[in-house]
Amino acid sequence: MIRILFFGPMVEHVLQREMQLEFQFGMRLKDVAETLQASYPEAFKIVCATAVNQVQTRDMELALADNDEVAFMAKFSGG
Amino acid sequence: MLDSVRLQAEDFSVDAELAALRASSLRMGGIATFVGCARDFSEGREVSEISFDAYDSMAVTEMNRLRDEAVSKFKLLDARIVHRTGIVSAGEQIVLIATGAEHRAPALQACSWLIDEFKQRVPIWKKEVSAQGESWITSHP
Repeated sequence: MIRILFFGPMVEHVLQREMQLEFQFGMRLKDVAETLQASYPEAFKIVCATAVNQVQTRDMELALADNDEVAFMAKFSGG
Repeated sequence: MLDSVRLQAEDFSVDAELAALRASSLRMGGIATFVGCARDFSEGREVSEISFDAYDSMAVTEMNRLRDEAVSKFKLLDARIVHRTGIVSAGEQIVLIATGAEHRAPALQACSWLIDEFKQRVPIWKKEVSAQGESWITSHP
């Protein structure tokens, strides 16, 4: 399974903080993004950062592994 | 002794954080602090409270990374970063950055650098609550 997390303004669009997608061999980060974007287009308009296993990445071709944790995040506003 | 980098729901004591910073080295000649507070007014609206959401584990990892980078970059003797999560009422403290160095210049530079980097790199989101409604904030004033 791929564990997908949402925080802050993303939760208001997706209406949940966490979901899971079944892992498939050869799965890439862009596959997860495209799948979710189709279901939550408004949410993905505010995505500014993506993290895999708590590390930010811009590499949407990144190969995922089973049990990876992915977060699609809006612009940060702490501090 | 509290960790030098933390997320917490409860308020923090600036005096206690500075005491912990000073206790780390007798060579510290300059200490700089930044305390961010919740304003009661934003973009034409009165704000009663701010709600913070965080990707806790990633945020703490990134805050520790920032602290390590600042210590190395500015040759600090110590630094502390504390940020609150959950509900913070107008007027209350949100974030503390405290930096200690042998001299004032690196302490001041590091403190300014840390809060700027924090806003860009740490996954925390704020929502302002007012009588007119609630709105997530995405700017970095």
